[in-house]
Amino acid sequence: MPNGTASPVIEKRLKWAAVLIVIGLIIQMFSFVKIHPLLFVAFLMIGCPFLAAGVLLYLYSLASHEPTRPASPTDS
Amino acid sequence: MTPLVGVAVFTVITVVLALLVAFRPELTRARGGKILAFLALFILPVAASWLGFSKQMSRAESTQFCLSCHVMHDYGRSLYADDPSFVPAKHFQNRLVPRDHACYTCHTDYTMFGPISSKMRGLHHLYVEYLGAIPKPGQIKLYTPFNNRECLYCHLGARTYEEATEHHKTPDMLARIKSNQLSCMSSNCHDTIHAIDSLKDVTFWKGGQ
Repeated sequence: MPNGTASPVIEKRLKWAAVLIVIGLIIQMFSFVKIHPLLFVAFLMIGCPFLAAGVLLYLYSLASHEPTRPASPTDS
Repeated sequence: MTPLVGVAVFTVITVVLALLVAFRPELTRARGGKILAFLALFILPVAASWLGFSKQMSRAESTQFCLSCHVMHDYGRSLYADDPSFVPAKHFQNRLVPRDHACYTCHTDYTMFGPISSKMRGLHHLYVEYLGAIPKPGQIKLYTPFNNRECLYCHLGARTYEEATEHHKTPDMLARIKSNQLSCMSSNCHDTIHAIDSLKDVTFWKGGQ
């Protein structure tokens, strides 16, 4: 992420990315409570997609972020 | 610290850092905050997920996992049959296969993608268990006839296997077994496998619980 004042938009996206990742990780942790096929599926089909969505949203927020540059004296 | 506790601790640390970013996103305005976000929202979650995935894959190979479906109950009981003619029971009770991975050891394919195809078959079993028509235990059949390759993964080269007189009844018998032309489970050979229909007539070993 480049330097500069972050806009509320990117902070909002980071917040959502973090929330998705936390949900995914909690589901993944829950899936270790017991050895059972349904928990294996929960890990794979629920936990991993949440986590992947969060990571992708984070990467998207970086890629789509346009840094605000301080106005230079030559700008009119 | 067991591997599972290690995974849990790693995941908890990741959750805490991700929550920090979630509640204080303004931290990412500073350079340190950007590094924190990169770790908490990318590196650590991916690593935690990968660790969890490999642990889940290992747990999916356990005997407890396979026997957690009700339809497999009798197959699990057959491992305790007090009769050495039951091939799985003999292997299980004498620790010829690891007891905690007894099903997987014989029912995976010893090929390059065998573990993956085993997991895919497992997912199909799960679909049948919860969404399909569950067959009666006695009606369960293998998708394909059992390949000698799975037996030979351990037995090939073993003196007890190579020099057994039963394996030399004809000059080409051993070669036919090794090439899977003659099944290990042919009649009059190792033909008593789980035999769940006959479990009512057998006694059960009480050890190994």
